[in-house]
Amino acid sequence: MELLRSLTIGQYVPRASPVHRLDPRTKVLATTALLVVVFLARDFAGLGLFALFLGACLLLAQIPLGFVLRGLRPIWFLLVLTLLLQVFFGGTSEGTVLWRLGPFAATREGLVQGLFVTARLVLLVVATSLLTFTTSPVELADGMERLLAPFRRVGVPAHELAMMMTIALRFIPTLVEETEKIMKAQMARGADLDTGGLVRRARALVPILVPLFVSAFRRADELALAMEARCYRGGEGRTRMKQLRYRRSDALAAAVVLAASFAVLLPGRFRW
Amino acid sequence: MSATDPVVVCQGLTHVYLRGTPFEAVALRGVDLVVGRGECVGVAGPTGSGKSTLVQHFNGLLRPTEGSVWVDGVRMDGRGETVREIRRRVGMVFQYPEHQLFEETVFEDVAFGPRNLGLDPEEVGERVRESLRWVGLDPDRFGPRSPFSLSGGEMRRVAIAGVLAMRPRVLVLDEPTAGLDPRGRQEILEHVREWRRQQGLTVVLVSHSMDDVARLCDRVVVLHRGQVFLDAPTREAFAQADRLRSVGLDVPRVTDVLLRLRAGGLPVRTDCLTVEEACEEIVRALRAGGSAWSSSEA
Repeated sequence: MELLRSLTIGQYVPRASPVHRLDPRTKVLATTALLVVVFLARDFAGLGLFALFLGACLLLAQIPLGFVLRGLRPIWFLLVLTLLLQVFFGGTSEGTVLWRLGPFAATREGLVQGLFVTARLVLLVVATSLLTFTTSPVELADGMERLLAPFRRVGVPAHELAMMMTIALRFIPTLVEETEKIMKAQMARGADLDTGGLVRRARALVPILVPLFVSAFRRADELALAMEARCYRGGEGRTRMKQLRYRRSDALAAAVVLAASFAVLLPGRFRW
Repeated sequence: MSATDPVVVCQGLTHVYLRGTPFEAVALRGVDLVVGRGECVGVAGPTGSGKSTLVQHFNGLLRPTEGSVWVDGVRMDGRGETVREIRRRVGMVFQYPEHQLFEETVFEDVAFGPRNLGLDPEEVGERVRESLRWVGLDPDRFGPRSPFSLSGGEMRRVAIAGVLAMRPRVLVLDEPTAGLDPRGRQEILEHVREWRRQQGLTVVLVSHSMDDVARLCDRVVVLHRGQVFLDAPTREAFAQADRLRSVGLDVPRVTDVLLRLRAGGLPVRTDCLTVEEACEEIVRALRAGGSAWSSSEA
């Protein structure tokens, strides 16, 4: 039953750490840079260095490693699938064959590449969760809005996007809670959610999805009404209670991230 | 009664949410509780005191982190069979149960539970009609309608009928009157009393409303920070107004009035639970020593 609660991707962990105190714009940009770096890294040494850097950030942000790994649980299937596909189809046809499964051959090159791609995926997820662990949804949306603001002239609805994001993030926990409650209520009426074949399980979802949609629409209605009642009319001329400000620590963080990125990328460049 | 024939027994029940994460929270610590057959127990306590967590153990929706729960002599272990058996015996009406309606017609929705029990269609139909009658809805008139076309109070009664159709021996109601007008409140409470009388149902009522608890329950269990703070027959419980107030709970309005009268010098008993009882008591007190009271007041 606590399955839904164990979803840690995208969850904010309040702590009083230097990473939490950084300006959200710095963190968004740094994360973007790190994601690019993960994709550019060409060897295991690079990824290893990257992992070390992430570990240091997590330590600084006071996020326990176990909690981060728990966040990987929902995607383990994807990870295994990636690994398998790479092992069997990633290598070239004349690679060293390790073993055969019918017409498919697992190659050594495939295995190496599979591990590499899987490691890259894991680091990708951990890097992005570092952002959401240390930045509250409101800060995140604020940061995004400010970052997108220059593109307003070319028609990017920065404020609207940020507001949509805030609302979506705000309602994830609510919907999770709601789902849990409805699941419990139907289980109390004898609904069986975990046995039977695919079709039976899919049909068992109807008693949960229908009430969930009904309540989501009801909430959306109420929220729209509440916003209108407080004269919300988009971002035009809207001021903020909390102004974002760059500080010295932001410059320092940016420099550290930049240095780490080069360290990850450089050796690869030299070798190839 | 409760000592001789227990239905629900909790021993050293402890529940910890999200153990091993930064969000770990202890909801219950070492709760001992016995609910006797046919009893009506009110579970009260401030928000976050563990009321809902406690009652979700009664039908196996949550498993104890430590300690144990017995229902009808069956110990809750994790096995699917046990859980199914316990859910059949303990019906659970959640807060705002009308939010769980999903079928196209009222009949189908109420039939969801009995069908999950694997009953034959005839038996299912019989139970649906009976359950709808129990909540005061005419099965012929309401059965074919969409549950989403009903009023809030009617929807709630349909949802409760859906639980009653499982024919539980213990009925757990979590804030069954929340958000209803006084009349809807009264009706639900009347129905609960009726089911107890007719079917010998054991009732566990979770409520913020001390008025509801006073009107319906024989016994009150007050939780505070995950522990049993008070467990006493209703009259005795509400006699300890100061203790209740110390954890942020109220006393029933009737008790409140009597306490104020007493503080003002009228020697009334303060353990009345209904308005009628209180009226009699006030009249009695006024007749006995009232002349002195009214003169002192002047």
